[in-house]
Amino acid sequence: MPFDTGRPEMTAEEFRLLRDFVYGHCGILVRDDMKYVMQRRLWPRLEALGLTDFSAYYRYLRFDAQRRAELETAIEALTTHETYFFREPRQLKAFSEEVLPQLERRNARTKRLRIWSAGCSSGEEAYTVAMLLKDSGRFEGWDVEVHGTDISRRVLAAARQGEYGPSALRATPPDKVARYFVHVGPNRVRVRDDIRAWVSFGHHNLQDPDAALHITRPDVVFCRNVMIYFDTPARQRVLRLIYDKLVPGGYLLLGHSENLINLSADFELVHLRSDLVYRKPELGGGGSP
Amino acid sequence: MMEEGRNAEEARYRALLELDVSAAGARETLVAGLHDESWRVRRAAADGLTRVPERDKVVERLISVLGERDETGARNAAAESLAGMGAEAVGPLVRLLGHVDPDQRKFAADILGQLGQPQAEDALVQAMMQDTDLNVRVAAAEALGQVGGKVAARALERILYDPEPLLQLSALESLAALRHPPPLPEVVRLLGNPTLKRSAYRVLGLIPQVAATELVCRGLGAESRSTREAALVALGTQASLAEPSLRPEMEAAVRLALKRLPEAVGWVASALESDDIELKAGALVAAAALREPQLAPLVAEVAQEERLMPEVMRTLAYFGPETGRELLASMDRLSFPAREVAGHVLVELVDATFVPELVQMLDWGEVDLKAVAVQALGRTSSLEAVEPLAQLLSHPELAGPAVRALVTLAAHFPKQVVQALESALEHGAEPVVLSALVRVGGTAMLPLVRRTAREASVPLRATAVEVLAAVDPVGGLELARQSLTDESPRVRTAAVRVLGQVGDKTMAGLLKQALADEALEVRLAALDAVGECGALERVADLEALVPHPDGAIAYRAVQALARLGALRDEVLRKAVGHGDHEVVKAALMAGAASSEGVSLAVGLLGHASWDVRAAAARVLGDSGGPECLPATRAALAAEMDSLARRALVDAVERLSGR
Repeated sequence: MPFDTGRPEMTAEEFRLLRDFVYGHCGILVRDDMKYVMQRRLWPRLEALGLTDFSAYYRYLRFDAQRRAELETAIEALTTHETYFFREPRQLKAFSEEVLPQLERRNARTKRLRIWSAGCSSGEEAYTVAMLLKDSGRFEGWDVEVHGTDISRRVLAAARQGEYGPSALRATPPDKVARYFVHVGPNRVRVRDDIRAWVSFGHHNLQDPDAALHITRPDVVFCRNVMIYFDTPARQRVLRLIYDKLVPGGYLLLGHSENLINLSADFELVHLRSDLVYRKPELGGGGSP
Repeated sequence: MMEEGRNAEEARYRALLELDVSAAGARETLVAGLHDESWRVRRAAADGLTRVPERDKVVERLISVLGERDETGARNAAAESLAGMGAEAVGPLVRLLGHVDPDQRKFAADILGQLGQPQAEDALVQAMMQDTDLNVRVAAAEALGQVGGKVAARALERILYDPEPLLQLSALESLAALRHPPPLPEVVRLLGNPTLKRSAYRVLGLIPQVAATELVCRGLGAESRSTREAALVALGTQASLAEPSLRPEMEAAVRLALKRLPEAVGWVASALESDDIELKAGALVAAAALREPQLAPLVAEVAQEERLMPEVMRTLAYFGPETGRELLASMDRLSFPAREVAGHVLVELVDATFVPELVQMLDWGEVDLKAVAVQALGRTSSLEAVEPLAQLLSHPELAGPAVRALVTLAAHFPKQVVQALESALEHGAEPVVLSALVRVGGTAMLPLVRRTAREASVPLRATAVEVLAAVDPVGGLELARQSLTDESPRVRTAAVRVLGQVGDKTMAGLLKQALADEALEVRLAALDAVGECGALERVADLEALVPHPDGAIAYRAVQALARLGALRDEVLRKAVGHGDHEVVKAALMAGAASSEGVSLAVGLLGHASWDVRAAAARVLGDSGGPECLPATRAALAAEMDSLARRALVDAVERLSGR
């Protein structure tokens, strides 16, 4: 391959060992046709650690004193943190115009709203949701929290910082930029403080049900373009976790290319005017605090 | 009312989920569920039926549901359940292919296709060739595309001569699915048929020959967009299948064809932006032939389909240096995956003229973009790049890449780089700066390193210990001895590493203390160091650690014993019984040359882990005698794992030659 000369090739055995190790830790499945991508994304790690081949890297992940930190770095390198503000506008329209009014009615007594952005990456989705809540004008004076979680600590640090470049804003209407961001440098903006006040972040491995104990039961879960990383059993585990966490009648919003066909019939499919979303039935079982 | 209905549905759904499938009457309860008005309840019923005991009866019952003409939902749910039944459903479904009702025969063919079981091949071939109903024949042809087999492929080729276009189309699609193209002249005939043209291009893509590429190129010149797109898809498939030696000739043919098509840049751009991954793959091949820099950002965006990343890299490599500037200018608008590949390419294409834009990117870019800019600055061979890189030497994430970039620039500007590194160190830079300083400045930096070894900063102290040993082994060893008493485990670990790297067997006493250190990282480093410096006195300590449940410790103990040449057979046997497969493999490799090791490798051909079995096969291939051949052959016959099989095939071949 051009540009790749002088770098170690990942053998089929090394690929399998690394792939299975990552899968065992977090359920992320690197498909067989992704060997090249895995190799490319891990090359910088070999370089940084002074290792000569991927077998040595595998043993580093297994046996080095720094193995835990390195595994996180490897997972970070292997997952694409592609996200931006106001991604998938049709779904966001459905959320704003049809889901939020329902939630306002349902929670009118408690005036409390919880939204979970599962796999939030660098925070664009969680902040977008908060901006939509603010735009709706329905939740002023409410106890609102949009909680973003991700397995990568590095992206969470970026999310908390709340500063972004032009790429993150490529689908954001100019009026929203003017309303919800402040300029902090050339080509850099920061999310306004009143939006940040509604958003929190935390580290979470979606494959670890115990780790979800700290997440308050949400009214809505955004889990968009996250399950693409998992195989069927791992997806089913995530869906079970989301199902258990959601309040009865709560909504699940997936990415536009994702659905629950052959994964779960636990959720109802709800036909909204602008989009299809999933909902946990009112009499749905499960539930953890 | 609607809410009540939903609650009732949920109650029925839950009832089926909670049903004891072994209980009397469960089968009929679930069959009733197949007839429910709710798809969720039907799904739960279909899933439940796959778990009911006496599956033969379940299969027959499901087949009876397929015959309920007015119950579309139930029939589809029954079909779904049958498709989940596996091989047990094949016999009854093959019998259903002989039913008087063509509707039922079609159902049977469809489900057999979903089951994908090879036992259905002959029956489906017969249905495709002889059934009196066209829909059944088409369903059988489609099913054969999922079932596969040599008989199926031959029959599908024969069907290409059938007068029914729909049947021809299904056969062609199935041949494409089986990746079994008919002979090229046959494909040429089908390309002339408007109904079959698109599918004919699909199979044409499966023929990685230049003659086939030339046919594809004719399609690229077609007026119809659908034909052009079909040709592009074929081009992508051909490129993925062609031997590397054939690629240049294929690409030359494409280039020649596209040169004659001035509007090609436009429709290749559209294809790069389409949602069809196969079309994108073909468009990449066309873009590589066109080499238009303005296509570069679109090409980079194709990396959002991660499996196309190699082809994206290959395509961008064909583009000239102007591509670098095009990518740099669009970097802020690219998606994350596109930025990733654009960054890789940019780094290869930059020169000194890129410095101002790269420095700007350090101001506004996210960390991933900054890392690209840093790496690229190191490749510019420009003095102007030194200062901006030096400013990053205290950045926790970018100091490492910045140091590497500065070391690259030091080939041209050693003095300026040393100055920049020294200045950064005085102002609290990351420890990697110290290593780089010695690498670039050499022994002249020793006083600075010694000073740094007395610093308060733990990372700097630790780095100083290792760096000093690298340039002054005697002084380094002395510092390492002192540092073994440092209060920080990180510094002690560095000191132990130095003992291993530059010390000799006289380090055994010091390493005994290190092996008992309270910090795991120090103990692990000590295990490595014992092997490295030849501290034979510590063999007993190592042997005691081989059965340690922590694989990190056991692995290192085995490795160290092997390096010392002190791995006794008894210890080797203990090591191959370890629960961690990496320890077992390390022992296998360590004992490979000994007769005991070979004998243990034979036993490990039946190990639970595929990688241990593969490693054992390699040991036998390297060191086994002819007496190992029967066991290796037997293991090969039983082996199901592809990688272990590969190693066994190689071992059998090598053993057979002895």
